[in-house]
Amino acid sequence: MSATQKLTLTSSDGIDIEVERKVVERSVLIRNLLEDLAETATLEPIPIPNVNEPVLKKVLEWCEHHKDDPVSMGDDDSDSRKKQTDIDEWDQKYMSVDQEMLFEIILAANYLDIKALLDVGCKTVANMIKGKSPEEIRKTFNIQNDFTPEEEEQIRRENEWAEDR
Amino acid sequence: MPAPMPKMPNKDDPVATWEFLEIGVDRIMTQLSEGMDSKTYLGLYSAIHNFCTAQKVPSTGTFQSNGTKGGAHLLGEDLYQHLINYLQAHLDGVNQKSQTHTNEALIAFYIKEWDRYTTAARYINNLFHYLNRHWVKREVDEGKKNVYDIYTLHLVRWKLDMFASTHDSIMNACLRLVEKERNGETVENMQVKAVVQSFVCLGLDESDSRKPTLEVYKDYFEKPFLAATSEYYSRESKQFLADNTVVEYMKKAETRLEEEKSRALLYLLPEIVTPLAEACESVLITEHSAVLREEFQVLLDADRQEDLARMYRLLSRIKEGLDPLRTRFETHVRKCGLSAVEKVAADGDNLDPKVYVDALLEVHTQYQALVNTAFNGDSEFVRSLDNACREFVNRNKVCKSGSTRSPELLAKYTDTLLKKSGAKMSEEDDMEKCQADIMTVFKYIEDKDVFQKFYSRMLAKRLVHTTSSSEDAELSMIGKLKEACGFEYTNKLQRMFQDIQISKDLNSAYKGWLATNLEETDLKNAVDASYHILGTGFWPLNAPTTTFAPPQIITKTSDRFASFYNNKHQGRKLSWLWQLCKGEMRANYARAQNTRVAPTFQVSTYQMAMLLLFNESDTVTYDEMASATKLNKETLDPSLGILVKARVLFAEPENAKPESGTVYKLNLGFKAKKLKINLNITVRSESKQEVEDTHKTIEEDRKMLIQSAIVRIMKSRKKLKHALLVNDTIQQIKNRFTPKVSDIKKCIDILLEKDYLERLEGDELGYLA
Repeated sequence: MSATQKLTLTSSDGIDIEVERKVVERSVLIRNLLEDLAETATLEPIPIPNVNEPVLKKVLEWCEHHKDDPVSMGDDDSDSRKKQTDIDEWDQKYMSVDQEMLFEIILAANYLDIKALLDVGCKTVANMIKGKSPEEIRKTFNIQNDFTPEEEEQIRRENEWAEDR
Repeated sequence: MPAPMPKMPNKDDPVATWEFLEIGVDRIMTQLSEGMDSKTYLGLYSAIHNFCTAQKVPSTGTFQSNGTKGGAHLLGEDLYQHLINYLQAHLDGVNQKSQTHTNEALIAFYIKEWDRYTTAARYINNLFHYLNRHWVKREVDEGKKNVYDIYTLHLVRWKLDMFASTHDSIMNACLRLVEKERNGETVENMQVKAVVQSFVCLGLDESDSRKPTLEVYKDYFEKPFLAATSEYYSRESKQFLADNTVVEYMKKAETRLEEEKSRALLYLLPEIVTPLAEACESVLITEHSAVLREEFQVLLDADRQEDLARMYRLLSRIKEGLDPLRTRFETHVRKCGLSAVEKVAADGDNLDPKVYVDALLEVHTQYQALVNTAFNGDSEFVRSLDNACREFVNRNKVCKSGSTRSPELLAKYTDTLLKKSGAKMSEEDDMEKCQADIMTVFKYIEDKDVFQKFYSRMLAKRLVHTTSSSEDAELSMIGKLKEACGFEYTNKLQRMFQDIQISKDLNSAYKGWLATNLEETDLKNAVDASYHILGTGFWPLNAPTTTFAPPQIITKTSDRFASFYNNKHQGRKLSWLWQLCKGEMRANYARAQNTRVAPTFQVSTYQMAMLLLFNESDTVTYDEMASATKLNKETLDPSLGILVKARVLFAEPENAKPESGTVYKLNLGFKAKKLKINLNITVRSESKQEVEDTHKTIEEDRKMLIQSAIVRIMKSRKKLKHALLVNDTIQQIKNRFTPKVSDIKKCIDILLEKDYLERLEGDELGYLA
C-alpha cells in the first residue's frame, strides 16, 4: 500500500471525504486501523462516528499541512513540548476560528489521537487564559460564576501563593 | 463476514457498554480469522472513547469540578476489570481444553492458542488505546502496581491463568520431543522454537512491563532442558563407552557436541549455546576425562594423528583439560629423543656429527608436525615440545660427559656442511634448509658459547685454507646466528670474514707494488705468494708451538711482503703463523704416471723447508734436518712421517724411527699417480688435541664472561644485594650457557680482590669505578 493511496472517510453526518493515506495516518487511531485490518476492509469508506464533516475537513486540513512532519512514535512527554506555548505561524492562523470550532478540533484530535494537533489546540486555549483575571476568563469562555462569595474567598486564599504580584 | 455488531450503546450506560464491548472482544478472540470491518473496529474504539469521556457521573457528593476526573477514573477501572474477568473466563476454557491433549498434540494446541491469543491481544490493545492513553497511563504514573497496558495485561493473564498450570506438561512434552530427535527420529522441532518464544514473551519485568526479561524462559525452559540434556548424555556416554573403544567414543562425543550446537542455533535461543555446551561437555568429556587421557599414550605410541587431534579438540573444551596431556606429551617426546640418541650413541667417539644432528632433528620434526596438525599449534604444546627438546638435546647419552658435546657436534656438522665438497649440496634450498635445521637444534643448545668457540675455530680454518664452499652460505649462517644471539655473539665471526676480504685487496695491491718495485729478473724468480692478514683479537689462532727457521727463499718472500706492509701500515707487528702456511713445489726429478710432466707436491711450509734441503744433497740426516729447520720434535716427526709414508723419502735403515742417526734419502724413482699430490695432511691426533684445547679454553672464557657481566650489572646498579647480583648475572648469561652459582660467587670474589667491587653493610656489594 503506497502512502499516496486514496482512502475514503465518512463523517458522522454521512459525508464521504477522499483523502491521501499518508495524510490521514497522522491519526494514530487510523494508522492502527490500517495496520490491523485486512486491505479489503479499508477499501470501503471508513466511518468516523464521532466527527462531523466541517470539523473532519478542518482536521484533515491540518493533517495535510503536517503530513511530512516526522512521526513521533510512542508518547514522548518531553517537558519541553509541554511547557512550550509558542505556536508556529501556520498553526496560529489555522487556529483562528471561533471558540466552538476550536473545542470541536480539540475533541476530534483527542478522539483520533493526533497528539500534535491536540497540543496546538490546548496551547491555543492556554494562551487565551494567560494573563487574565478570573473574571476575564469567565467572560472569555462565557462561564457562569456559581461560587458563593465565601467559597470564592476560600479558593483565593488557598491559591494565594500562585498569584502574580 | 461475521454478523453485524449491535447498535452503539448509550455512552452513559456502563452495563450496556460492556455488553457491547464483550461481543466485540469475544469476536476478536475467537473469530478474528473471519475478518473484521472498519465499522466494527471504529465502533468498538468509539464506544470506549465515548464511555470514558461521558460527562455524567454515577456518583454523589464531592465537588462538581472534580467530578469529571473521578468519573473517568472509576469508569476506566470498570472496563479494565471487566476485561480481566473476560480473559480469565476465556483462558479457563482454553486451559480445560488443553487437558485433553498430551505430548505433541499438547504442544500444537498450546502454540495454536498462544498465537491466536497474542494476535487478538494486539487488536484489543489498539481498540483499548484510549484507555491505555488515559486511565492506564494515569494509574501507572501514580505508581499503581498490577495495572498494565492492555497488551501486557493479556500476557499477565496468560501467565497466571494458563501458563502457571500447564508449563510442566508443555515442557515435558518438549523434552520428550527433543529426546526423540536425539534418538534419531525426525520431529517437528519448530514447535519447540514456538514454545521457547512464548516463554520468552512471558518474561515480564515487574518494574517496566515494556522490557522483556528472560527469567521465565530461564526458569521454566532452560533449567529443565539442561537437566534433561545432562541426564540423557550421562546415560548415553556411559553405555557407549562400555560397548566401544575410546577412539569410537571420541567420535561420538564430537558428533553429539556438534549436534547440540546446531540444535541450539536452529530452534533454541542463542543464549543457551554456552550453557548447553557446558552441560554437554561436563557429562561427555569431564566425566570421562580420565579414560580419555589414559588413551593418550596409546595414541602417541601409534602416532594416530587424527585421533590425537580429536582428543585435543575435546579436552581443550574443558577447563584445564589439556594440562595432563601436555605433561605426558613432554615426557613422551623426551623419551623419544633420548632413545633416538641412544641408538646412534653406540658409535662412541667416532659418532658422525650428521648422524647425531639428524637423530635430534628427526624427533623434533616429527613432534613439531604433530603439534601443528593435531594440537592446532597450541602455544602451550609448543612450549612442552621445546622443554622436551631442550632436555634431550643437552642431557642425553652422548652428552654424558657434559653438555658441551652437543654444541661441539652441531658445530662440526655445520662445518662439514659449509666445507667445500662436504656433503653433496647442489641446491641452494638444501643449504637453506640445512641451516634452518641447524638453527632449530641451536635454539635448544644451552652452551651456546661452546658452539661459538668451535664454530669460530672451524670458520677460521675454512677461511685460512679457503675450503669454504660458498661465501653466501657462510654469510647467511652468520646472519642466522646473529639473529638468534645478537651482534656480540657473531662480532668476531664477522671480523674474521672482513679480514679475508681486506686481505684480498691487499694482495692485489701488493702485486702492483711488486711490479713497480722489483727488477724483472727478481720478479721472475720470486715465489708467487698470497697473504692473509688476520687481526689477533678476532681469530682463534695461536702462535706456532715450535721454533722455525724458514728456508732462504721463503724468508726473502715474506720479508719483501713485510716491508710492503709496514710501509703501508706503520707500527703494526706481523707474526707469521707458519703452521698454517702451505705451498706447492714441483718435483723436477720425477714424472707423473704416463706423462712427461713433473708432479706437484702440496705441502706445509714445514715440509717445504725439509724437502728444500734435498736440493743440496740427496741424503739428509735427521739431525741435519732438525738443526736446519729448527723445528721441534713434536712438529718435525709427524711431518717427516708423512713424507716417508708417501715414499717421497726413504728412511735408512728401513723403518727407522725419526731420531738421531736416521738418514733420509730422496726417492728419485718416485712414481706419481697424479699430477698433484697432497702431502699436507693433518694428523688425527693433532685435531683431537685441538678439541681438548677448545674445551679447556671454554672454562677460562666463561669466567671472563661472568666477570664482565657482573661488572656491567654493578656499573649500572652501583649497589646490589649479593643474591640479586647472582640472579641478574644468570639472567644475562643464560642465553650463552647456564652458569653455576658457585662459579659466579668465585668470580665475585675475584672482582673483590681486584678492587672492582667492595663489600657494604647488609650483604650488599658496591661498585668501585
